[in-house]
Amino acid sequence: MSKPILTVKQLTKRYGSNTIFENIDLTVNEGDTIVIIGPSGTGKSTLLRCLNLLTKPDGGQIWLDDLEITAKGTDEDRVRQHIGMVFQNFLLFNHLTALENVKLGLVRVKHMPEEEAEKKALEELTRVGLADRAGHYPGQLSGGQQQRVGIARALAMDPRVMLFDEPTSALDPELIGEVLEVMRKLALDGMTMVVVTHEMGFAREVADRIVFMEKGSIVEEGSPDELFYHPKYERTREFLWKITELYGKKEAKS
Amino acid sequence: MDFGRFIQYIASGTAYTLGVTLIALPSGLLIGLVLAFVAVYGGKVPGKIMDFYSTILRGIPPIVLLFILYFVMSGAINLSPFWAGSISLGIISSAYQLEIFRGAILSVSGEQMMAARAVGMSKMQAIRYVVLPQMIRLAIPSWSNEAAIVIKDSSLVYAIGVPEILRRAQLISASTQQPFLAYITAALIYFALVFITNRVLGRVERKLTIPANP
Amino acid sequence: MKKSLIFLVLVVLTAALIAGCAGQKAESVLDKIKTSGKVVVGTSADYAPYEFVDDAGKITGFDVELMEEIAKRMGVELVWTDMPFDSLIAAVQEGKIDMSISCFNYSEERDAQVDFSDAYYTSEDAFLVTEAFTGTITDPLQVAQYKIGVQSGTVQDDWVTTELIDAGLMPESNLSRYERVDQAALDLQSGRIDVLVADSVPAKAIIQQTGSLKIIYEGMLYTGPINIVLPEGDTALREEINKIIKELQGEGFIDALAVKYFSE
Repeated sequence: MSKPILTVKQLTKRYGSNTIFENIDLTVNEGDTIVIIGPSGTGKSTLLRCLNLLTKPDGGQIWLDDLEITAKGTDEDRVRQHIGMVFQNFLLFNHLTALENVKLGLVRVKHMPEEEAEKKALEELTRVGLADRAGHYPGQLSGGQQQRVGIARALAMDPRVMLFDEPTSALDPELIGEVLEVMRKLALDGMTMVVVTHEMGFAREVADRIVFMEKGSIVEEGSPDELFYHPKYERTREFLWKITELYGKKEAKS
Repeated sequence: MDFGRFIQYIASGTAYTLGVTLIALPSGLLIGLVLAFVAVYGGKVPGKIMDFYSTILRGIPPIVLLFILYFVMSGAINLSPFWAGSISLGIISSAYQLEIFRGAILSVSGEQMMAARAVGMSKMQAIRYVVLPQMIRLAIPSWSNEAAIVIKDSSLVYAIGVPEILRRAQLISASTQQPFLAYITAALIYFALVFITNRVLGRVERKLTIPANP
Repeated sequence: MKKSLIFLVLVVLTAALIAGCAGQKAESVLDKIKTSGKVVVGTSADYAPYEFVDDAGKITGFDVELMEEIAKRMGVELVWTDMPFDSLIAAVQEGKIDMSISCFNYSEERDAQVDFSDAYYTSEDAFLVTEAFTGTITDPLQVAQYKIGVQSGTVQDDWVTTELIDAGLMPESNLSRYERVDQAALDLQSGRIDVLVADSVPAKAIIQQTGSLKIIYEGMLYTGPINIVLPEGDTALREEINKIIKELQGEGFIDALAVKYFSE
């Protein structure tokens, strides 16, 4: 019986007089892979960043398990230890090696002893297939490799849920595959994930639920099957198939 | 006066020049570094105060501040020429170093901070383990320039009587009527000091460079 | 607009605060000297033969040796503080030095800020020119037609400013002020100035050093007696110094020093 890890109620975000999104409701159950799709600029990334409180919402509530993290007085740093995030631009710590990147949170935030942290970091790097690059600096890694390190870094903290903000959008086409592969394995292993992406192939094959957002609200939400083959709204069909034309075919080939 | 003694007299001022520099530069570093972090991360009001500090001190010629500290404030604080000189130059340098570090911090993209917070680090931890190490590397070239400036500005303390290189060159020039020799000697000593400093810092910079593929 | 006004007010207030910090000293410097066992004397050692640095790099000269004797008779150690000439008065005022000996002539302006000991010697002015100079001076005011150089803050500076420039005999642009007299001598030789108005004794020393200059006029303009500069209102100190000066004059000490340093 799956219980909700992330519950979002009536979430709203504004920048000045612009409303980015309004009254968003979302539930992410344990083990789910939720993929959020939609045209650029509809607030998908902003929504994701609200989930780990990197961006403060202007209205609504968010629960992580039973804790309301939007409540006043919440220790945000603590909360973020349990939510992993992977960024479009990887955002690896440039002055540290791959191994040190993964280790940093363990040593400084979790106060793990050096040896233990080193071991765990190496494990995570192995998990994403980069154990042999442990001593390399970000500047010495390809985009795909950097992103996999980014995933390892987030995984090392043993998060309850992983958030992916367009993880492959900044990658060369050839390198997208290796990252999606890591993500697919993660999903199969049972990790709870919320992914913002344009990769329709991934959405169709890996997602438990797809959420289609446009102009600051959720247009439609459902299983891949439902959204691709029996969408309720014309707009949904339009968007999905247009994007699939661009991205999906490529995915099928690789 | 024989040549050797001539040179030696001027060169003996080097100890004072180094003394002033070695007080001014590090104190400017300490103050400038702390204030830079306050300026970037401290919020609106502290930020405004830092702007005020920086603008005022960079708007005054160092020698003017020197006179103020030495002559004008002597009722409240009685400083020797050496200390008045070193402290004034340290204060002025801190304003320039504040700007150097502020620029370097801002060059470390705000996204690095975001990535650090995403892993659960507090703002302070993010600054200490992610921003600061990257910022230092970015600051070195400008800082090297500032170090050279402080070495050269140390000559200003001649005006309040510190017997450093320039003042000695002046005195020798006056008593031997050999200004060319005196000032060329002084110039060469200053040049050597600056040159060595730049070399050393260049090496430090190379050592700290993060490996990357071209 | 309002913001910059507030800013400006803050700056002015800060400046006033700083200026107000210049405090007054109440007790006599003489007590301080006796207690600490040393006297801090300021001079500008770029004025041979009154004060200069010798071959060994030591500060020496007529004023220097005189002061050393005075300190000896006071029973205290002498600590020399050298600095540019025009900083000396302020240094005495602010208590950075106990007194100063640096070929100071009396002037009313200076008297407003510091006190003077009795005269220990008398000096004269000289007009210094290059060998090639063809003009003649019978009346000192005639020098107004030339480009003149002086050391800033000296009585020669005062004389030119008051008697020539303020009197309308000479445009200000023809006067160059120098921090040190040797700088003026350099410009004299290069032709940037035509006449250097300085104390006659250093002028003669410069002639000896350069071998290519000459004096075309000597006389007392604003010069005359030279004195030691003392803190304003410090009667006790002044009386002590005057007493010793009188002693030294009586013993012929000062005359002997003059022979040592001023004979050509």
